[in-house]
Amino acid sequence: MSDETAIRTIGIAKSFAGVPALRGVDFSVRRGEIHALLGQNGAGKSTLVKILNGVHRAGSYKGSILLGDKDVSFRSPLAARAEGVGYVPQEIEVLEQLSVAENVFAGHTGLGRGVLLNRRLLNKRTEALFAELGLAINPRSLVAMLTAAQRHLVMIARALSMRPKVLMLDEPTASLSGAEVDQLFAVLRRLKAQGTTMIYITHRLPEVMAICDRATILRDGRVVAEIDRADFNEERIIYAMSGQKLQRLYPHHAAPTQSEVLLSVRDLSVEGRIGVHRRISGINFEVRAGEILGLVGLLGSGRTEILHAIYGRIPCSGNVKVANHDGPIRSISDARRAGIALLTEDRKRDGLLFNLPVGGNITIGNLEKFAHHQLVSRTNESKAVVQAMRALNVKARSPQASVAHLSGGNQQKLLFARVLMNGPRVLLLDEPTKGVDAATRHEIYRLITELADKGVALVIVASELEEVIGLSDRCVVVADGRQVDEFQRGERDEEQVLRIIAAAQAELTGQTALRTGVAT
Amino acid sequence: MTLATQDDAARAGGFANKMRVLLSVSELGVLVAVIAISLIFYSIAPAFLSAQNIRAIINFVSFVGIIAIGQTVLLIGGEFDLSVGSIAGLSACVTAMLMKDAHLPIFVAIIGGLLLGAAVGLVNGLVVVKLKIPAFIQTLGMLFIGQGLIQVVTGGNPVYPLPESVGNFGATRVIFGLGWSFIFFFIAGLIADFVLRRTVLGRNLYATGGNVEVARLVGINASLYKICAFVFVSVMASISGMFVMADLASGITSIGTGWELTVIAGVVVGGVSLFGGAGTIVGGLLGMLLLQVIQSGLVVIGVGANWQQIAVGTIMVLAVGLDLLRRRVFIGGEGAPSGNGPDAAVAVDPPAIVPAAAAD
Ligand SMILES: Nc1ncnc2c1ncn2[C@@H]1O[C@H](COP(=O)(O)OP(=O)(O)OP(=O)(O)O)[C@@H](O)[C@H]1O
Ligand SMILES: [Mg+2]
Repeated sequence: MSDETAIRTIGIAKSFAGVPALRGVDFSVRRGEIHALLGQNGAGKSTLVKILNGVHRAGSYKGSILLGDKDVSFRSPLAARAEGVGYVPQEIEVLEQLSVAENVFAGHTGLGRGVLLNRRLLNKRTEALFAELGLAINPRSLVAMLTAAQRHLVMIARALSMRPKVLMLDEPTASLSGAEVDQLFAVLRRLKAQGTTMIYITHRLPEVMAICDRATILRDGRVVAEIDRADFNEERIIYAMSGQKLQRLYPHHAAPTQSEVLLSVRDLSVEGRIGVHRRISGINFEVRAGEILGLVGLLGSGRTEILHAIYGRIPCSGNVKVANHDGPIRSISDARRAGIALLTEDRKRDGLLFNLPVGGNITIGNLEKFAHHQLVSRTNESKAVVQAMRALNVKARSPQASVAHLSGGNQQKLLFARVLMNGPRVLLLDEPTKGVDAATRHEIYRLITELADKGVALVIVASELEEVIGLSDRCVVVADGRQVDEFQRGERDEEQVLRIIAAAQAELTGQTALRTGVAT
Repeated sequence: MTLATQDDAARAGGFANKMRVLLSVSELGVLVAVIAISLIFYSIAPAFLSAQNIRAIINFVSFVGIIAIGQTVLLIGGEFDLSVGSIAGLSACVTAMLMKDAHLPIFVAIIGGLLLGAAVGLVNGLVVVKLKIPAFIQTLGMLFIGQGLIQVVTGGNPVYPLPESVGNFGATRVIFGLGWSFIFFFIAGLIADFVLRRTVLGRNLYATGGNVEVARLVGINASLYKICAFVFVSVMASISGMFVMADLASGITSIGTGWELTVIAGVVVGGVSLFGGAGTIVGGLLGMLLLQVIQSGLVVIGVGANWQQIAVGTIMVLAVGLDLLRRRVFIGGEGAPSGNGPDAAVAVDPPAIVPAAAAD
């Protein structure tokens, strides 16, 4: 690290249709450092890095950018790339029908002869890059088959394939769990050692502590603090972001021991379909009214598949029963009738309806509530929308605004509002705090415990191990689609859980090795 | 930023917002185009706005507009149907034969024609939704099948004479010299518009066309919606075919030929998206009117038929291009390039592509 600045902005201001998102940002990053860019949802972090990457074109904002000593203004992301600026966007943007390797090297030239693509070379280069990053993804598989987290890793690899001098990562870990985060950090440290400058956006403060050298904090489009590593302190950062004092503590919650069992899952198994979902087998658990159950596991361990099978979205065998609901749950409409609701993890693919405005997105699926004889009452609906937006603090210009222009965290809150509108008895949450800022995260924790106190049975999947363990009354550990352990609140810590998972996986691979050994 | 410039920005934003609200009502844009183009034709050839010509335009728009209502509904649900012209012709001929050759009561014959239309729509819907064959292939196939069946059942000859009351019904002028087809078209349009704007059914259809996966996840029976939309457009096509049959007082094999493209071109010009989930009945029907005004105007000022086709084709491509642009900006939200300040935001920001009712 040196005192030389790698990239610097002077007085960047940007408005969207007259509404300011950035109001004069002076921001500077030293060469070779990992610089955290922090702020609440809608503070303008993504907008700032998009300007630095030419996504928001030169001329669409005020102020200037200095790359080294050079005054630059990018007309397109391509122009930024040519100057050695790389970018991993917040939302997953992959070409689903192409292979992983083709995605990684999309936009590269010179891979092959003339216009002909040399597939072998492409796959080899991707393999080399993945080996360097420690990724276990087959370069030949279709991206359509990957999970959300794996897609994110592919996008990171794509940005790194350009060997950028300045790399900007917009919430790269939002869908990654412990092990992958460590992997990513190892990569970032190596890049740093090679002299790459990085801007790192996240809502997870422990990550900032772990890897960042300096932090700039935005609030409402202004820089409110610039903190050196020596002065890092969670409380101070949260205070600067929100102007409020907050502790990162999980709200107190004690599960009732004698309440009714609301959800019972018996022998749940899903046939694996290559590229669609993984195989899970022999899952058994019960969730009582008022209880929070966490599903703990690594990326791709089958957590999401379990939730989807319970919700009737993927065909499964076994038995899913909800109290006071006769018959098994075989389809989404069965599940909804029984009072199950699901929050999905991939906002863009399975969450938002881009052709409906904010309000319509919240009420879709629950319109009967506001309708007499199929006729939707606008007043009732807009009242409910305003109420839901206020309850979850969704920041949107109006209920008529387009969802595409909400900040990532606000999109997540909107989907949360949709799921709650149904008044579910069993709530399945897949990554409920993905891309959500510290203050809102706290609100969501509070919301979750409040729901539990009201007698809702909750099942939570989150990639942050610490979060699931801290929030849940009881955890079920899954590895490779199997249930390997179960423990009550306070019985295990992160490290123990990781060790259990590692042991289970070693055993499983040992078994398969044995089996294949016998076969050959 | 100083206070003064912030104020300026706010004011410019206010203006920009007003402009956007105006432009976002894409129906209004089409309406303005209809009026402007009509006035241009009128200034060249005053006969264009003669009562007779206006009546002719509205008459034709009524026939194809009945189908356009169904096609708009289907497009919003995320599919489309190329076989509507064939279905109109087939239903008309079969109904005519049921009356003339099978000597069935008129009422029964009509029911027969409608059932035939519904059956074809059901086949289209089931094949597309259950067998996952693209609508383009299935309905293109059905277009040819329908054409073939028309020739098979009629032997290629017009079916007439029909019972006298059929011809009388077709010749009845109810209002402003317009017939029952117009009345039906008008009322059906109003109802469909209301259903799409204000009911649960309508909103669920927009969701289905917007993203089937999300629609399923929130508990909407997306497959059923799509199949019903296929049946609906087919039944509307049958009804349209029968009105033409009554108008001509005979079942002619060429009824409906080429209408599939007329209808799709028209509603797309009116802002109904080819990619599903966006558009309105009013927009779609205004688009039909716009295309018809242009075609009729070119005839009145004496432009050859070939040039009319060229004009229609050009307009359609422009309209689809506009739709694509709108969608790219809309869906690309995060990644899409943004405009230069408030003014450009007017052009770049996508119009609300869902009726105002769905917005609140
Ligand atoms: N294309 C756009 N059109 C209109 N408004 C936009 C657009 N992009 C962003 N905004 C608005 O600008 C503000 C800042 O958004 P931005 O995405 O930069 O937030 P963020 O700090 O990245 O938040 P998050 O942590 O939730 O991702 C928000 O109020 C957002 O609604
Ligand atoms: Mg962001």
